[in-house]
Amino acid sequence: MAYSDKVIDHYNNPRNMGSFRKDEDGVGTGIVGAPECGDVMKLQIKVEDDTIVDAKFKTFGCGSAIASSSLATEWLKGKTVGEAGAIKNTDIVQELNLPPVKIHCSVLAEDAIKAALNDYQKKGDAASDAAQPATSKAGA
Amino acid sequence: MNADAPHAAAGRVGDRPRDLPMARSMCWHCQSEVPGEYFCAKCVKVQPLSKDLDYFTCLNLPRALNLDEQALEDTFHALSRTFHPDYFATKDDSEKAISLGNTALLNAAYRTLKDPIRRVEYLIHLEAGSAGTIRTTPPADLFDEILELQERLDAFRALSPDDAPERRQTLREQLRHDRRSLEDRKAQLDARLSDQCTKWDALQAGAGDDAAVRAQKDEILTAMRALLSNRTYVTNIVHDLAETAG
Repeated sequence: MAYSDKVIDHYNNPRNMGSFRKDEDGVGTGIVGAPECGDVMKLQIKVEDDTIVDAKFKTFGCGSAIASSSLATEWLKGKTVGEAGAIKNTDIVQELNLPPVKIHCSVLAEDAIKAALNDYQKKGDAASDAAQPATSKAGA
Repeated sequence: MNADAPHAAAGRVGDRPRDLPMARSMCWHCQSEVPGEYFCAKCVKVQPLSKDLDYFTCLNLPRALNLDEQALEDTFHALSRTFHPDYFATKDDSEKAISLGNTALLNAAYRTLKDPIRRVEYLIHLEAGSAGTIRTTPPADLFDEILELQERLDAFRALSPDDAPERRQTLREQLRHDRRSLEDRKAQLDARLSDQCTKWDALQAGAGDDAAVRAQKDEILTAMRALLSNRTYVTNIVHDLAETAG
């Protein structure tokens, strides 16, 4: 079975490959894996004022998994956190023309987005909890 | 090949219980009743095995994970002879098709149950209906470790041999060390999986299937699912390490 041109393009020229420091402000990290094939995907978002200003990924797996995560980072940039949560694996399947046996790669990418958003939110909650005693400085 | 094939072949499995479910309760050809026989007692046409037949039942084995490998081989060979397409070369198309279908099912069952890992995967697949869709927590520590190792592998691949022979050699040693420790980890996972298999077999052999037993079984299935997942991740990275750094 041949990969679609779009998959090959993302595979040969992956967009936004790399990583941010996990503890950096506004960075959310999602690391997920597909137990069926053993692929591992790391996807990170950098958020400023509720908007995703940058996204990076590192994926160790097949071409479809790499293309799915590469496409996901492209789509994430410029979206609000809310909009990002609405990205569905079926959108990825459609865009990349993935065959049925590779649908789990797009599921993995959706899971990675969700995990990154979760991590970002959790960090935000922890930071605002920590910031509670310092409310007097909030207006600065 | 052999004009009397159905009779002769059926005779070879005479010492095995012939209770495999057939696709229908009547002979597809002469409509006579053929309960539990591979061949119609009246018109001697071969009968199709039920498509719902699970692999353990197909090979006349209990739903256990430490199974009797000799029994597996014996039953497989006996049934292979019974349904082998060669014996049906001179028969009509319906019988040829049934012989092929039965043989395909038999081969799939044999290949799956012969491999201990695929056997566990198949059991989970069979039993998952009762365990619900088994979801295991992703092994976060393992992912971190794998990503770190993959980055080290990338660094190694990026070094050209002429540029930095010493640095390359150091990294290679390190990667080989990583591989050995992961191979140990895989052996540990296999040992834990084997423990779970033994626990499953003990429960399966015991009497009753009440709620308490079912809960214990589901717990074992979940543990096995998690061990299998981790095993896949570890196998992949070991493969990458071996391929790149030897």
